[in-house]
Amino acid sequence: VTAAEVRDELVGASVPRVEDARLLSGRGRYVDDLRLPGMLHAAFVRSPYPHARVVAVSVEQARTLAGVEAVITGADVAAATAPLRIPDDIPNYARPTFHALATDKVRHVGDPVAIVVASSRAVAEDAAELVEVAYEPLAAVPSAESGLGPSSAPLFDDVGSNVLYRDRFAHGDVDAAFAAADRLVRATFVQQRVANVPMEGRGVVADFDPLAGELTVFASTQSPHAIRFLLSLALGHPVSRIRVVAPNVGGGFGQKIPTHREEIAVATASKLLAKPIKWVEDRLENLVAAGHAREETVEAELALRQDGTILGLRARITLDHGAYPVLPIPAPAYTNAIRVMLPGGYRVPAVAVEATIVATNKASYVPYRGPWAVECLVREALLDVAAHELGIDRLDLRRRNLITEAEQPVRLVTGPTIERVSALRTLERAAEPVADEPTAGDGGMLRGVGFAVLVSPEPGPPDYNTAVGFGETPEPARARLEPDGRLTLVTAQAPHGQGHETTLAQLAAQTLGVRLDDVRVVHGDTRVTPFHLLGTASSRAASMASGAVVLAVGRLREKVLRLAGDELGAAPDELEIVDGDIRVAGDSERATTLAAVAASAYFGPGVRAAESEPGLQAAADFAQPQGGWSVATHACVVEIDGDTGQVRIPRYVVVQDCGRMVNPAIVDGQIRGGVVQGIGAALLEHAAYDAEGQFLAGTFMDYLLPTASDVPPIEVEHLPPEGADDADFRGVGQGGAVAAPAAVVNAVADALGATVTELPLTPPRILALLDRASG
Amino acid sequence: MSDHSISVGVNGSAGSAVVEARTSLATFLRDDLGLTGTHLACEHGVCGACTVLLDGEPARSCLVLAVQADGSDVMTIEGLAEEPDRLHPLQEALRETHAFQCGFCTPGFVISALALLREQPRPSEADVREALSGNLCRCTGYESIVRGVLLAAERLDERAG
Repeated sequence: VTAAEVRDELVGASVPRVEDARLLSGRGRYVDDLRLPGMLHAAFVRSPYPHARVVAVSVEQARTLAGVEAVITGADVAAATAPLRIPDDIPNYARPTFHALATDKVRHVGDPVAIVVASSRAVAEDAAELVEVAYEPLAAVPSAESGLGPSSAPLFDDVGSNVLYRDRFAHGDVDAAFAAADRLVRATFVQQRVANVPMEGRGVVADFDPLAGELTVFASTQSPHAIRFLLSLALGHPVSRIRVVAPNVGGGFGQKIPTHREEIAVATASKLLAKPIKWVEDRLENLVAAGHAREETVEAELALRQDGTILGLRARITLDHGAYPVLPIPAPAYTNAIRVMLPGGYRVPAVAVEATIVATNKASYVPYRGPWAVECLVREALLDVAAHELGIDRLDLRRRNLITEAEQPVRLVTGPTIERVSALRTLERAAEPVADEPTAGDGGMLRGVGFAVLVSPEPGPPDYNTAVGFGETPEPARARLEPDGRLTLVTAQAPHGQGHETTLAQLAAQTLGVRLDDVRVVHGDTRVTPFHLLGTASSRAASMASGAVVLAVGRLREKVLRLAGDELGAAPDELEIVDGDIRVAGDSERATTLAAVAASAYFGPGVRAAESEPGLQAAADFAQPQGGWSVATHACVVEIDGDTGQVRIPRYVVVQDCGRMVNPAIVDGQIRGGVVQGIGAALLEHAAYDAEGQFLAGTFMDYLLPTASDVPPIEVEHLPPEGADDADFRGVGQGGAVAAPAAVVNAVADALGATVTELPLTPPRILALLDRASG
Repeated sequence: MSDHSISVGVNGSAGSAVVEARTSLATFLRDDLGLTGTHLACEHGVCGACTVLLDGEPARSCLVLAVQADGSDVMTIEGLAEEPDRLHPLQEALRETHAFQCGFCTPGFVISALALLREQPRPSEADVREALSGNLCRCTGYESIVRGVLLAAERLDERAG
């Protein structure tokens, strides 16, 4: 994609979203809004125990309740499906087999044991209460620490140990770096378990037609093709006879990338009963069983020279995996991403990492907005500790070590190539507005300022994928000029709030030369969308889906211009297309329209005979380009009430460089939304379990999300793209949530004069830190 | 489960129905009347996604039983715009400020904001944040919603004045 292909009118404008009229008027169609003829409703029987043997499941009483169609147990599902297992074979990674419903054992509170299918959700829930499960409780593994103990009972017998993965990596000469250091700075960071909490939970309507042998699944998902493929493996059913449709999806933040066990169970139930079945989880199910993220402990050690030059970094990462793996994601992908991103945008010549993944009796670890996030917290917090110990200004310490743009492209010691990373410039711009923030607040309030420098793979260059262990997969798009001259785009993205119906249409409209309103974007139906396993994940849309659309529409445009040139007696490069009119530049007499060219391409006998490929359709697959780093510095101001431990954030500044923007309002919405999730993770949120493995955060009274009155306006400034290719779009979905916890932690540490290593920073924890600082 | 007869006015049309005692107003609106714009996101009265106007006051329809709405007037998101092909000025302003992303919390926010603007035509930013603090949005960080409500207030107030 070159600059000339994307001109500068629609692209870059904050046009209102195509999606919004529908969503603002109550006309959105989410899974729970769908009603199929004869549709039944499902509810799950879930384990109240963290770890127990399932001795017996008695379903007779439940089955006789009026309105109950069936009660399907783990044994029934196991008989009808292949065992589930992560497909990727990775060295030192043990992959247990499991089933959609628990069979021999339950492994976390909320583990599904049976599924009740009835005439309504209410009846299904009544019947679920009547299913009697006899459990024999086992010793629980409530934490990674306990899972590492020699006596911990293995969750999965076929693995035999709760250590699912352990590996060591050394990049550069780590021993030499540490031997040469003047100072070592150490800390152990404990990042708590949090939940993604999309406002719409998971949900499916599965509809199996036994005569046609076709399974249709409407699912609230980010990855329709992944569900389709994994259902085909589980059910032994041809992929081509499974259709997955993602209607409007009410948020995901990573939780809806995996294909969940409940989704497989409901599809299996529909196949067994040959009836359409709806399951829409309630909030308790979402909080207890849809998965959690971020629970990592990182022991880190930074080696520096007296002048602040970083020589090396060592980290021991322990990830609390919860019980079941989530399909199709191998958990080492998370620790790999953390390891690869640990240096961030800094010159770190040597990095050693030991990564351990431990199975525990908790909900599954799922991807969450910037799954590598802890790297930013660890590095940025450790840098502040180092600055303090060395007596160097924390901004100067960063200036000394950040990779300059003159040095780029350059490879991080962990593998990926850093290119177009303007971290230093974002740091300088972000430091300015908070330079004069007062250090003490009114009435004895404690104030502090914290910074975090973010280099975020959104999606990163191809060698980032290689370093993390993902394959590289191009992003597909399809474009069709309709017979009336309007454009239909088909994308493999599965948007759930990102506004792709708008942004991809902006790119297409401008590339072709039509009005925005003349473009429609089709997504989320595997019957028509090109295959891609991920869907909307990993910030692929901004650069890769955009690139695919521009390529496909560019190909369409070439053909249009060739046909129009034949008609007008002009060379294609003499023609321009403006608002659907095609004309010879400088000659207003010789003109036609896209509608006329399209009609002749589809219906004109002469054109049809002359063209080897009739019609006006184009396909493109866009390969991952170099660069792809989203860069930012976050500056957070906190004010802390020393009596109550309450933290308030009066100001929050983001200086961002994400290249060129398609729709700045959408970009800023992604950044602000990410930052507020990061603030929630830093101050409020905790998917907590007690020491016995009981879940403690099953409602919004226990799991606290930030509200409108908890957060300030987020001031966002963008660096103008410098010397960048015109089509250099980079994602912003992840970075806000990655950098915000680090910025908040550093601000709180600054305010308290303490080292802060544990999240969330609740009032009791703040008071304890204050006690320690003063004592 | 006992059944009850109720008469409810919904978005300007009166009607009667027979509901189970345990049916919530939200489930009645969604399942019996097909008004699926009212969303359920927590069913314990915290998130505000199911907010409707009950006799003009904002109410969480997940915490109100359908039988409790007997004899009342309910307004849902579907009843906001006067013409089916046009948005209400509040919705229009929210569209302009890119207020929402995934759209799931949206109907509840729109109804809560409408109730605020009826009560207080020119709220400050702090007033808006306070009034909307009973509605949860996970996508936006709230700023775009707050700006949309302030923009709507300005326009509606000018129109009224």
